[in-house]
Amino acid sequence: MKKNFGILGILLVVFIATAIGNPNFLTAYNMFNLLERASLYGIIGIGVAFVIITGGIDLSIGSLIGLVATLLPFIVVQQSFPLAVGLFAIFALSLCVGLTHGVLITRLKLQPFVVTLCGLMIYRGIARWIVSDKTMGYGNETFSGLKVMVGNLSQLPGMSGFSWAKHIPVAFLILLVLGVIASVFLNKTIYGRYLLALGRNEQAARFSGINTSVMIIIAYVICSVISGFGGLLFALDYGSIQPDSFGNFYELYAIAAAVLGGCSLRGGEGSIFGIILGAALMRLLMNSISMLGIDDQLEPAVIGIVILIGVMVDELVKRFAARRRAVKQAKVTTALPEVDA
Amino acid sequence: MSSTLSRTALMVAMPLLCLLLSGCSQNSSDNPEADARPKVAYITNGIASFWTFAEKGAKDAAQEFNADVNIQMPANGVEDQKRICQDLLAQGIDGIAISPIDPDNQGDLLTEIGQRTNMITHDSDAPGSERLCYIGMDNYTAGRMCGELVKEAMPEGGSVMIFVGRLGQANSRLRRQGVIDELLDREPDENRYDEPSAGVIKGEKYTILDTRTDGFDFGKAKAQAQDAVAKYDDLGCMVGLFAYNPPLMLDAVREAGKVGKIKIVAFDEHDRSLQAINDKEIYGTVVQNPYKYGYESVRVLAGLARGDSSVIPENKILYIPARQIRNDNVAAFQAELQRLLSTEESEGTTNVVSEPAGDESP
Repeated sequence: MKKNFGILGILLVVFIATAIGNPNFLTAYNMFNLLERASLYGIIGIGVAFVIITGGIDLSIGSLIGLVATLLPFIVVQQSFPLAVGLFAIFALSLCVGLTHGVLITRLKLQPFVVTLCGLMIYRGIARWIVSDKTMGYGNETFSGLKVMVGNLSQLPGMSGFSWAKHIPVAFLILLVLGVIASVFLNKTIYGRYLLALGRNEQAARFSGINTSVMIIIAYVICSVISGFGGLLFALDYGSIQPDSFGNFYELYAIAAAVLGGCSLRGGEGSIFGIILGAALMRLLMNSISMLGIDDQLEPAVIGIVILIGVMVDELVKRFAARRRAVKQAKVTTALPEVDA
Repeated sequence: MSSTLSRTALMVAMPLLCLLLSGCSQNSSDNPEADARPKVAYITNGIASFWTFAEKGAKDAAQEFNADVNIQMPANGVEDQKRICQDLLAQGIDGIAISPIDPDNQGDLLTEIGQRTNMITHDSDAPGSERLCYIGMDNYTAGRMCGELVKEAMPEGGSVMIFVGRLGQANSRLRRQGVIDELLDREPDENRYDEPSAGVIKGEKYTILDTRTDGFDFGKAKAQAQDAVAKYDDLGCMVGLFAYNPPLMLDAVREAGKVGKIKIVAFDEHDRSLQAINDKEIYGTVVQNPYKYGYESVRVLAGLARGDSSVIPENKILYIPARQIRNDNVAAFQAELQRLLSTEESEGTTNVVSEPAGDESP
C-alpha cells in the first residue's frame, strides 16, 4: 500500500485539476464512463501482473482479446452454436494459449518476449482469417444476457430498487471481486509467495524446492484466461469488432498499468491495488485531456510523460526510503556504544 | 532528503499544472456571449486529409451561424469514437454530427448520443438509429460513377483490384458494390453485397480479382498495392476507394515501372491524386464535397440547438452529390480547392479568436 503513494498522489492531483478545469467532469455520467473504462483496463492489468511478477512478459494480450472478441459472435451468430458453446470455446482457447506460452517458456526455454510476440502475430492473423476481416457485431439479441456485465449494478437481479446502483458499472464490481481474489492469492497463499519468490530469483526458488516451471505455466494461464475474459467484456462494451484492429496495443496499456502500479519488469514485485490505480490513472488522463480541451493529438505524449514521471517518482521514493533506513541503522549502531559506555 | 522530496513534488506538479492551466486558459478565452452560442461537435471516422476540407466547412459554418464547433478525429477506430462521444456528452454538447465507423453494431452508442443530444450522421449513414438527419452523398451511386471511370480508362475490359481502408462501414461497402455492379452492368440494387471473401468476380468484360483492406494503416495499404502489382501480371486497373489509397497505389505502380500500363482510378480529392490526374498518371477520381459535409452539419446542428427544426429536410436526408474529375476538369477543381484553403489561411486569426483553442484539431 505504502508503495503506491506516488501513483495515488498523481491520480488525485489529475483528478482534482480536471474537476477544477471543467465542472462537468464530476457528473454522474462521466464518472460512470470513467469507472467503467478504468475497470476494464484494470482487469487485463491484473492478468498481466501475474506474468510480470514472475519476470516474464505477455505481448499477445491485445491480439488474444481481438481473437476472443471475433470468435464469440462468429461461433454463436454465424455458425449458430448455442451461447454456452461459444463461451466454453473462448475460455478453453484462452486457457490453451496460456498453457502453450507457459510450456514453451519453461520446457523449451524460449524467451517470453519471443513466444508472446509470435502469439501477438499469430492470434491477430487467425482472427482476421476466420472472418475474412469482416466486422463482427454484438448487437445481437443472443448477447443481451451477457451485456449486463457492461451495464450498471441496477441491472443485476435484486438491485433495481437502489438508485445509487445505476451509477456503478458492473465491470467495477467484477474488478473488485477479481482484485480481491488476485490479491489474496498473491499475498496470502503459498502459491502467490512462490510466484513472488521465483520472480526475484528463479534459481534460488527452484533450489528451495519450488516447482518453478509449474508456477510459471500457471502465471501464463491466469494471464491468458483473464485476457480472454477481458476481451469478452471489451467486445460487449464496444459492440463492434474489427478483427484487424480490435485490441491493438492493449498489451502495452496493461503492461504500463502494471509498471505504473509498482510491478518491476525484473520480476518479484507488484501489488494488485497498484495495478488498478495504474489502469485508472491512464483512463483518467485520457478523459482529462478531452475534458480540459487539450489537443487530442497530444494524448499519447501526455500519457507517456505521466507514466515516465510515475516511474521516476516511484524510484526516487524507493531510494529515499532506503536512505532513511540506512541513516536509522547508522544512528542505532552509533547510539549503541554510547549506551555501553 | 527533503530536497529530494521537494524536487519530486515539483516534477509531478509542473506538467500537471501545465495541464490544468491549458484547460483553464481555454475557459477564460471564451467570449462573453459564449453561453448563447450553441456548442456542437463534428466527429469523423478517422484521420485523413479528406477531413481537412470538412473541418474547414465546419469552421466556416460555425462562424456564419454563431456556434462553437469541436472537431474530433478518432485515431483508433470504434473504441476511440465511443470514448470521444461519451466525453463530449459529459461536457454537455448541443449536438453531435458523427460519421459512424460501424453503424450496424454501434447501435448502443448511437442511442446513447441520440438520447442525450441532437444527433445527425454525415459521410456514412445509420438509418436504423435515432439520427435526425443524414448529410452526405449516395455512396452506391458514387461507386457506380467510379465504375464508369474504370470503363473509360479501360474500355477494352480487363482485370480490376479494389483497395479500401475498411469494409465494416456502410459507405465503403456501398462504394465497392457500386463499382462492381457498374463493371458487371448489373441493375442498380443497393442491397446487393458480394462478399470480399467469395474470390474473383467475373463479368463479361471486367474481372474483379480481389478487394484488399488495410484498416487505415498507410504502410500496409502501400504494401498491399505493391503485392497486387507483383502478383498479377495482367492487372489492368487499380481502384482506391479511400482518399489515401490512390497515391500509395501510384507509388507502387511507379516503382514497378508500370505507369500507364496499370490504370488507376481514385476516390476523393487527395492532392497527390489530383496532381497525378493532371500528369495523366491517374485516370480520374470521384470527389465528394467534404467541405459541404462539415458546413451543412454545423448549420443543421446550430439550427436544431436554437429550436429550428426546419433545417432538416422532410426525408431526413441531405444529399450532397458527387462529381467525376478527369484530366480535362482537374485544373478547375484544384483551383476551387485552393480557393477554399487560401480563405482558411487568411481567416486563420479570426478563427482562433472565435473558437476555443482546444477545438483546433487538424
